[in-house]
Amino acid sequence: MEKDARMKWIIETENLGKRYGDVQAVDGLSLRVAAGEIYAFLGLNGAGKTTTIRMLLGMIKPTGGSATVLGRHVRLGSREPWAEVGYLVEMPHAYPELTVAENLEVVRRLHPGTESKAISRVIERLGLAAYANRRAGVLSQGNAQRLGLAKALLHDPKLILLDEPANGLDPAGIVEIRELLLELTREQGVTVFMSSHILAEVSRLADRIGIIHEGRMLKEMDIAELERNRRRRLLVRTRDLEAAGRALSAAGHPGKILPGEILVLDQIDAIDHPEDIAGLLVQAGTPPKQLLVEEEELEQYFLRLVGANGGEK
Amino acid sequence: MKTLASMVWIELRKARRSTMPLFTALGSLFMPLGLAFLLFVSKNPEISRQLGLISTKATLMADTAATWPVFLATFAQVLAIGGLFLCVLIASWVFGREFTDGTLKDLLAVPVERAGILLAKFIVVALWSGALAVLIFGSGLLVGALFRLPGGSPDILLQGIGRAAITACLAIAAGVPFAFFASLGRGYLLPIGAIIMTLIMANLVTAAGWGEYFPWAIIGIYAQGKDALPSASFVVVTLTGLIGMIGTYLWWKYADQNR
Repeated sequence: MEKDARMKWIIETENLGKRYGDVQAVDGLSLRVAAGEIYAFLGLNGAGKTTTIRMLLGMIKPTGGSATVLGRHVRLGSREPWAEVGYLVEMPHAYPELTVAENLEVVRRLHPGTESKAISRVIERLGLAAYANRRAGVLSQGNAQRLGLAKALLHDPKLILLDEPANGLDPAGIVEIRELLLELTREQGVTVFMSSHILAEVSRLADRIGIIHEGRMLKEMDIAELERNRRRRLLVRTRDLEAAGRALSAAGHPGKILPGEILVLDQIDAIDHPEDIAGLLVQAGTPPKQLLVEEEELEQYFLRLVGANGGEK
Repeated sequence: MKTLASMVWIELRKARRSTMPLFTALGSLFMPLGLAFLLFVSKNPEISRQLGLISTKATLMADTAATWPVFLATFAQVLAIGGLFLCVLIASWVFGREFTDGTLKDLLAVPVERAGILLAKFIVVALWSGALAVLIFGSGLLVGALFRLPGGSPDILLQGIGRAAITACLAIAAGVPFAFFASLGRGYLLPIGAIIMTLIMANLVTAAGWGEYFPWAIIGIYAQGKDALPSASFVVVTLTGLIGMIGTYLWWKYADQNR
């Protein structure tokens, strides 16, 4: 029974930690990723994202805690469970003197049992057909990233770990990869664990988000929670702001007048029902010129959470 | 076995597509061509006079190597030093390139035993070094034949070839630990620096009279063929190769890999 409960988590870490001398790169990290989920691991540069991914892949030995991937305890240098795991860690390096197809052939041989046809399939899927016989060393950054993703997807893994997958891609490429990852999770039930430092990028894709800062898990939430947590406010413009402010205040909606002739309300009922505010303003003889529900920018919210410059605490 | 063959295929493909085989082959040919030049100068006194001091040295060296037995012994020594250096160069490239090119991470979380990946690399280092030894010694034999060196017989030639083959095997075994240095230093710098230091040490140790127990001095002493080496010397070189392999394996399996 306990085993069944554990198996539903594709990734599970328990107080995972890594210390380099005096530096605690990752500290007491506990997270769980369910099957078929896209989990975004968000953090600033140096927050511990890559160290965590390397520990999940058995490339770095944790100094504390443990990690389980696909129900197997991760051990350094082990052969399991990597047949069912694809990954792209940091820069998408490839053998520069080998062609795109040859680099994929290397990966295919490193995953015994993967059929030859998988190479042409993944080349087609990642839009690399025109570059199949080009040396990897001369690829553009965007195509090198596509090759890195192709290497991760070649053997049809159940779990994909991607470190900053949008790096080097142009806006069209980012949309294309987003669609591809959504397709993989929806149609094939693949689980995706991806790191990023851009909240806006992952909010359109992820089911859940974990925010890591200075090696510690700051907050874990699903997308609905993210929407709830973002600061919202109602912006009001009328001909007579003073009169509007007095009327709304009398009706239990005290506001603040900001420079630029804007009245700001931050009560939830006002934000959720701007039509009521409009009615009150009409009754007070100061009908609104503009009513706008403003949501906090995702990046502003992220910076506020991590307490970095640019985000108010 | 099938997986090992597949891993060897990968390593051979990587090597074949690079410029390294060409450069190491050119480096290898430098040795027999250099000796051919010295023989040529010594056999052409007019050119010798024009070249002055170089010709004096060349005549001295070429005169001493002007018979098959001496020529073969000289060549075995060239193979001992040059061959060891080339072998270290190849091992440094085969192992160190994964760190320098950032491709190491693609070899780590895979369903293939790490021992298989490493064994394939060692096999390719041995095959490559062996091929260069054949190239060096083969072209050396050609040089000797072209200059019609005296004193040759099938027995002497076979003996020379046997000595060269064993010298090459010793050099390959003694070169293995440098794969560990390439892994430890995550690139080419440490093994290249280490081989230079090791060759200096080999000279000092030989001068001190302990050469037959220092793996990298043993190769040179064996190649000279003057003193019979104790069996322990061959055991020392074999152990050096084994320790190098085991050390490399342990490092690849248990060290944190951040690149």
